[in-house]
This record gives sequence, structure tokens and C-alpha cells, in this order.
Amino acid sequence: MKQSIKNEFFKITHQKITWIAPILILCLMMLSRAFIGNSEQRLLIMATYNSGEWILLALIIVCSTVLSMEYQYHTILLTIYKAPNRFQVFASKLLVISIYNLFLHFLAIIFTLLLQLTPLKAHVSWLIINKYSQSLVINMLNTTLIDLVASTLIVSLIFLSSSLIKSNSIVITINLAIVFMGQTASSQLLNTNAHLLNLVKWNPLNMYNLTAQYYNHAVYHDTSHLTNIELLLGTLIYTAIFLILGYYLFRKKKF
Amino acid sequence: MLEIKQVSTIIGKKKIINNATFSITSGSIVGLIGPNGAGKTTIMKSILGLTKFNGEINLNNQKITENDHHALEKVGALIEHPAIYPFLTGTQNLSLYSTDPIDMQHIITLLGMNKYIDQKAKEYSLGMKQKLGIGIALLNHPQLVILDEPMNGLDIEATILIRKIIKEYAQNGCSFLISSHILSELQKVMTEMILINNGKIILTKPMSAFLKTNYDYYVILTDQPDKTKILLTNYQITSNDRLIVKRQDIKNVQKILFNNGINLLELVPQRPTLERTIVNLLKNQEVKNHA
Repeated sequence: MKQSIKNEFFKITHQKITWIAPILILCLMMLSRAFIGNSEQRLLIMATYNSGEWILLALIIVCSTVLSMEYQYHTILLTIYKAPNRFQVFASKLLVISIYNLFLHFLAIIFTLLLQLTPLKAHVSWLIINKYSQSLVINMLNTTLIDLVASTLIVSLIFLSSSLIKSNSIVITINLAIVFMGQTASSQLLNTNAHLLNLVKWNPLNMYNLTAQYYNHAVYHDTSHLTNIELLLGTLIYTAIFLILGYYLFRKKKF
Repeated sequence: MLEIKQVSTIIGKKKIINNATFSITSGSIVGLIGPNGAGKTTIMKSILGLTKFNGEINLNNQKITENDHHALEKVGALIEHPAIYPFLTGTQNLSLYSTDPIDMQHIITLLGMNKYIDQKAKEYSLGMKQKLGIGIALLNHPQLVILDEPMNGLDIEATILIRKIIKEYAQNGCSFLISSHILSELQKVMTEMILINNGKIILTKPMSAFLKTNYDYYVILTDQPDKTKILLTNYQITSNDRLIVKRQDIKNVQKILFNNGINLLELVPQRPTLERTIVNLLKNQEVKNHA
């Protein structure tokens, strides 16, 4: 397992996209800082300048590449037979992507701290009491933790789709569509099936509201029809389902 | 060393390998020969625990299954394509799997890759990639190396080099299982042959025994070719005054020549080419199947 993880780290750190993604995230966060009004600054800081969305974008590209490059470069056979079993291949890739996810969220906090120091907009005190009767800094840390869970859901979905589909571009397209259209699709689904609301509100697409609802409860609760805790539980359960299903398909896959 | 007992591999609803049984001893170079779709790559994948199979595969008495590859620690392989990450250099590709840096450097030198080994693999030619793929298979002092079409994309010089390396490793106790469409090339290195067709092993034989048992015809040359032709009118004459005789007629022919005062200058077995022999074996197999 140690060797498999070491190899996965070696591969991910030697790919350009791994390092380009954080730079892109910083640029997009800077744009949010520069162009969104002073009145929204607290909300933006809590959401680390909308980094969650950009992190998802980066994760979709990096994560689907980590899996599909093995098919593209014909390295999957060597990767599998060199490992003691397929579980170790799957688990080491998942672990490395999870650490990369954690790294991007950590960077988002650092970038937020740095952007707060820039004179572009009015400075907001970190200790000011904000949402949930907590200080702004605690709000930001909690939102980051929540977003870490939410982004793990998309990671599990990428692992599932990559175990089904070998083409990198198809996997990226599907997951981009789910992330950026999922909330709207879920909302439409809830609106058109109002009589089945109690059932339909548990659809997996609805779970993508988790982070946004945490930092903007008033707006998103009416969309999701679930409490924060329910969304968190739903996200964790769907993540587990997608990962188990993804591993099952990976184990059965013929190479 | 490697034992394959009653192995069957089913993919979808099709039986790709049907009750394959053979073994590979230490230091032997086994050629796996068969037409396209015969099941060569599937057998190799089964040994590497890459496909589900029924039966038993043991390496040094350790079981290999689809979900337990512990026995494969000392196995190197090149299957279908060289497994290379183009964004890494040759050295980085090797070091992903290497546990012995001195051995890795030795392989780089042995394969003559020193000049380009620190370039990104995306800049490599087909032959360079193939060499790197073989290099990966030879890492960490393997006991068994599985090579699927190893001569793909290699020039003559590199082919000779790989042949030499295979022989050297085999002399040190490493076993090889090699499949290749270039039979003449395989013939130069293999010590044993396994012939497979439609997923069935139809022949396993050491090359020495294989060559011995296939001399059905002999070519003779005498000191009086014209007189010989008159005496042996029933036999085929070659363009250079030689006659082709059946193995069972040799004693009789020698008697005739002796009685007529003719001396024998040459008596050479007429070896069929490996290609011809294999084609004949496969044809016989088909006839048996349809009988």
C-alpha cells in the first residue's frame, strides 16, 4: 500500500495541471474579491471567495485525469499487477485525491487570508460575529470543512464514472454538467414533483446545495427543502454509495 | 517455478482459455505461439492476476489469483504496450517500480538508454518506448519475465541486443514467457515452445525435442550425382544435384549406393521452417476438431 501511495503521489506531483489548478483558483478568487461589492464581503470571506466552485472544477479535471490516464497510457495493467490487489490501487488513488482536495481547501484559506490584506475592498474583522452566532473566522473554517465533505461527493462520482467510462473527456463533461447544472436540475425536479417532495428532496443532485446552504441558509434552504444536517448526512451516504459502487465496477472491470 | 493447472478464462460468455496446463522451469525461455485471438495475451494476463480464471496458477508454490498478487513481487512484464507515463522522464518511469537503484542504472546501460533516459518519455520514438517497457520488466532481479511482442518497433540492432539480454538473464536463472509474431526471432532464443490455438494448448515441447522429431526428409549428395539420379529415379532432385529421400528409406538408399560403388558426401536432415511446422500443426488440429 505504501508503495502504491508513493507512486500515486509521484505521478500527481509531476503533472502540470496539479500545479496550474491552484493558480487558476487564486486568479478566480481575486476576481471575486475585486468585482463583488463591499456589502457581500462577509459572505465571500465565509465562502473563501467562492473557491468551492473553482476547487470542484480543478478536482474534476485532476481527478478524472488521475484515473483515465492509466487507460490512455496503457499503464493500468502494470499498475494493477504491481499492486497486491485492486483495492490498493483504488484506495491509494482515492487517498491521494483526497489529500489533494484537502490541499486545495487549505490553499483557499491561505489565499483568503492574503486577499483580505489587499486594499481592493474594505477590511472586515476576522472576529466579527457573523452567521450561527460565530466569528467570521470560525464561519470560514466551518464552511471549508463542509465544502471538503461536499467536494468528496464529486470525487466519489468521478471515481464511479471513471470506472464505467474510459474516456477522460466524457468523464470530465459528465461531472462538469452534474456540478454546474445539478443544483438547477434538482430544483426543477423538486418544482415539477411537488407532490413527491419528501422523496425527491433526497435525490443526489440536491446534495450539491450543502456548501451554499451552509453559508447562505436563507436562500438555499427554500431550494433544497432539507436542513443542513440532512444535507450533510445525505452527502456522506451518497459518497459512500458511489465509492462502493465505483470500487465494485473497478474490481470487475476487464482490462 | 511457474505452474499452470487446468486454467480456464471466460470473458463475457466466451471461453478464451480452455483447461490450459503447463509449467515453466527456472532459466527457461518459453515461446508462446499461436494465431491472432488464440489466447496468448489472456494467458499472460491470467498469470499476472489481471483476469478472473478457474484453475490454479502457482509461482514458487505461492498462489496467484485475480485479487492476490503477492506472488508476483519478482515478476516483470510487458503486456500489449509499454506502460509509460509520457510526462515523466525515462528514469522517473523506471524509478516508479525500482527497488534497487544500482540494478536500475545497470538496466539503463545494458539497454543503451543513457543518452535519452533523462528526457521526457513523450519525446521517445516507438523503439525507445519499447526498450523502456522492456527495462521496466527487467527491474528488481525478476525470477519470471513475461513479454508480449517484445520486438515491436525495434530496429535490427536493438532486436539483437534484446535477444542477447534475454539469454544473459536466462543463464542467471530468470525464466521468460515470450509471445511474438516474428517466429524466426523467437526461434533464436526460446528453449521451449507452447503452441496455443482457440484457447487450447496443443503442444508443449523443448525446442531440442521439437527439432529432432520433425526430420521426415533427408537431403543426400554423392560423388556421382548423375549415376545416383539414374539409380534413384523415384526421388525428388534439387537444383544442385541433391536428392530428397524419406527418413524410412535412408537405410535402403545407402545399400543401393554402396552396392553401386557410390560414396555418400552429405546426408543432412531437411528441416521444415518453424513457420511451416506450426502451420501444419494448426491445420492438423483443425482437421481433428472437425472430424
